[in-house]
Amino acid sequence: MRRRTFLSAVGGGLVAFFGAGAALWSQVPVVPKSPEPDSDTSRGWIRFHDGTFILKLPRIEMGQNIATGLKQIACAELQVGWDDVTVEFHDTRMERVKSTVGSESVSHFAEPLAQACSALRDALREGLRDGVVTVANRPIEELVSFRKGALVGSEPEIVQGREIVRGESLFAADVRIPGMLYGRIHRAPVSLEMSSFPRSWNEAGASAVPGFAGLFPDCNVLLGRSRGIGILATRPGALDRIETELAVEWSTGDRRDDTESSPALDIDRELATGPLPHLAMDGDPLTGDCEVDIRLDLPFAAHAAMEPRAAVCEWRDGQLIVWTGTQDAFYVRDFLAHAHGLETEKVLVKPCRVGGGFGSRTLCTVEAEAAALARHAGRPVKVQWTRAQEFTQGFHRPPSSHRVRGKISDGKISHWDHNQVSSHIIFTSAGFPAWMQGTIDLVTGDPGVARGMKVPYGIDEVRAAYKSVRQPVHTGPWRGLGAGPNCLAVESVIDEAALVAGENPVAFRLKHIGDTRLAAVLERVAGISGFHGAAPEAMSGERTGRGIACGIYKDKSYAAVVAEVSVSAENGLRVTRLWCVHDCGLVINPDQVRAQCEGNLVWSIGLVLLDGLQSANGRVTSIDFLDAPVPSIVDVPPISTELIESDNRPSGAGETVMVAGPGAIANAFRAATGVRPSRFPVQLEDLLR
Amino acid sequence: MNFTLNGEYRSIPEDWSDESLLHLLREHFGLVGTKFGCGLGQCGACTVIIDGAPVRSCITEVSSLAGVEVRTIEGLANGDQLHPVQSAWLETSVPQCGYCQAGQIMSAVALLEMNPNPGDHDISAAMDGNLCRCGTYRRIRMAIARAAEAM
Repeated sequence: MRRRTFLSAVGGGLVAFFGAGAALWSQVPVVPKSPEPDSDTSRGWIRFHDGTFILKLPRIEMGQNIATGLKQIACAELQVGWDDVTVEFHDTRMERVKSTVGSESVSHFAEPLAQACSALRDALREGLRDGVVTVANRPIEELVSFRKGALVGSEPEIVQGREIVRGESLFAADVRIPGMLYGRIHRAPVSLEMSSFPRSWNEAGASAVPGFAGLFPDCNVLLGRSRGIGILATRPGALDRIETELAVEWSTGDRRDDTESSPALDIDRELATGPLPHLAMDGDPLTGDCEVDIRLDLPFAAHAAMEPRAAVCEWRDGQLIVWTGTQDAFYVRDFLAHAHGLETEKVLVKPCRVGGGFGSRTLCTVEAEAAALARHAGRPVKVQWTRAQEFTQGFHRPPSSHRVRGKISDGKISHWDHNQVSSHIIFTSAGFPAWMQGTIDLVTGDPGVARGMKVPYGIDEVRAAYKSVRQPVHTGPWRGLGAGPNCLAVESVIDEAALVAGENPVAFRLKHIGDTRLAAVLERVAGISGFHGAAPEAMSGERTGRGIACGIYKDKSYAAVVAEVSVSAENGLRVTRLWCVHDCGLVINPDQVRAQCEGNLVWSIGLVLLDGLQSANGRVTSIDFLDAPVPSIVDVPPISTELIESDNRPSGAGETVMVAGPGAIANAFRAATGVRPSRFPVQLEDLLR
Repeated sequence: MNFTLNGEYRSIPEDWSDESLLHLLREHFGLVGTKFGCGLGQCGACTVIIDGAPVRSCITEVSSLAGVEVRTIEGLANGDQLHPVQSAWLETSVPQCGYCQAGQIMSAVALLEMNPNPGDHDISAAMDGNLCRCGTYRRIRMAIARAAEAM
């Protein structure tokens, strides 16, 4: 037994730093930089070499199939064939691009790429074969790729599709390097907000495990305030056994660390203490009686990407090379350079295809673990989190508690007041310490929490206010940020208001809609679903219902959804049919926009019926897919998706349907049972009471 | 110990005998198409076919492999000639992130070999244990139907 003496009670802000590298961690975290793409940076994205065009993809590929979409733009603008352009992923030797988030890849990157391609095309036509082409921005009307035709609006075989179906090496964990070890940082089973570190462990027992390759007790890789113990093995399966044999005793902070299970967020309790600090819409508060008054509560929810995050790190001649599935290679580089006291040029991050992002791969976690272990071992190290680590060490969609009140006058909503208490999203607690969040909260709110609170309806007086409360479980961006929960609240209330007004939910919404594109998706989805017809027939003991919802994502993409549901004691709560209409302007690849709609509809089913993490004592206690289920094939009904295509500038599709899918499903359950779903995920007993 | 891997007779080194089949495939044989998703047999990303049946390789012990025939995603195509299920997958543009897809395809191949003309319920029963967080389920159904026709 190996014992070391530490300062073991570390409450009250006293932190025990020890071991090499302690000085490398400063109090101020590295923050992602987000330069907007322009034609200066876009020059590095496309080049012509030996008769082939090489598109250096300025985005991370994580299933949105942006490699395919941007290749279509490039081919169209260069006016060359599909096989004339080869797609390569970027690495951090390219000029910095912002993280791949927010459904921005077409809306922000298509035009700079098209400008670069058009300049390159013209230079080649003029006979230029060497050097760097100056990109002079031309009017968008002159860009071939911003008009439907040829490859724009087509559906070629997806880039890397063939490699995926053949099982070729694409993901970070697929990287294999001779001499590579397998690593893990084993951490205390306590809240990441509580300081913790290994106090004692059984090294003799661990080293007797076949495959044991070493320990790194002083690895000092923080995750929140958790400092674990590094384990190295020659085979991945040995890691679990070594962890068990280590039988680590942990030193953990005392209760002054505020990590006791904090009370669940409760909007009414918050409102009782006064108005909420941040405004998404600044109308007057609604006082006095109102016709609609709804409370909604949502729990923590995991991203649950199928790929547990993974990284392979190798130190080569003082340079750190990192293969990882990340949404922001440049942030990972900056973070690791800072952590190891290196110039950024000494860290090369090679982002791999990401096995599902949904906001979860925006920080530096597993990369820091692999880099520290590889440095210690003097050999390449692969780290892939276990599923339990994904749930217990990752950050999650924050819980949120909403109260929305609406006043109805002359058949219309005259006053709207939405109050929400949640936790930080963009200023994620996984990246920002409490003191920084507190400072930010004094100056501004968290726009991620506010996303979706801005109602798309014409109402005279609208107020939307919110507050972010740091949670002992880390919270951060999750597909659509606040839009899923907020739009679920908005669409629940507008539906309830239609009932009070005695109006059809489509007609009632249309009375409040001034935006013709929103009206168009709503009317179209009502049309294709036969929404105005009779509700689906119910079997004995079954209730069925149909619900509708619509919305606008980030002021530029439109969606409307109709859901049909079935409720019965025998079969529980089921979504039986979904229709969706989506408008993101000019569509580069209709099939892949439909794919994003389908994915968001499955996420909508999850949000309403399944998503919810268990936690206790400030820590997620869900450790597998039984504790935290995601939709499976049997949960997903037939889906019909239609796109409204136009010449409007292409916006985005990766998250849009989160504004309408959950609302439509919740409204369908309301229609089926007469009970307004208010606590999510919805349980059968809540509706059949 | 010996077994058959994608039609070839292979031996397993002694020091890998306490590993899971998944780790053996990925880290010893370098067949990285089979994925680690949960390590508990709950998600299906690690599905391979053993003696004709779909099996979760993450909970299959190497010590149980003597004499069996294991097929992985890498063994489906014949050179550049894709297996009909792989072709159907591409033609239907099933993959989004792609991480679960090898497991999905192996479950689909096993299904179609046992039941060349599966109905909706057969597909649900066979594919229920293969999770896809991107939500490609609608296309998985379409691709299986398409492959069934082609086969």
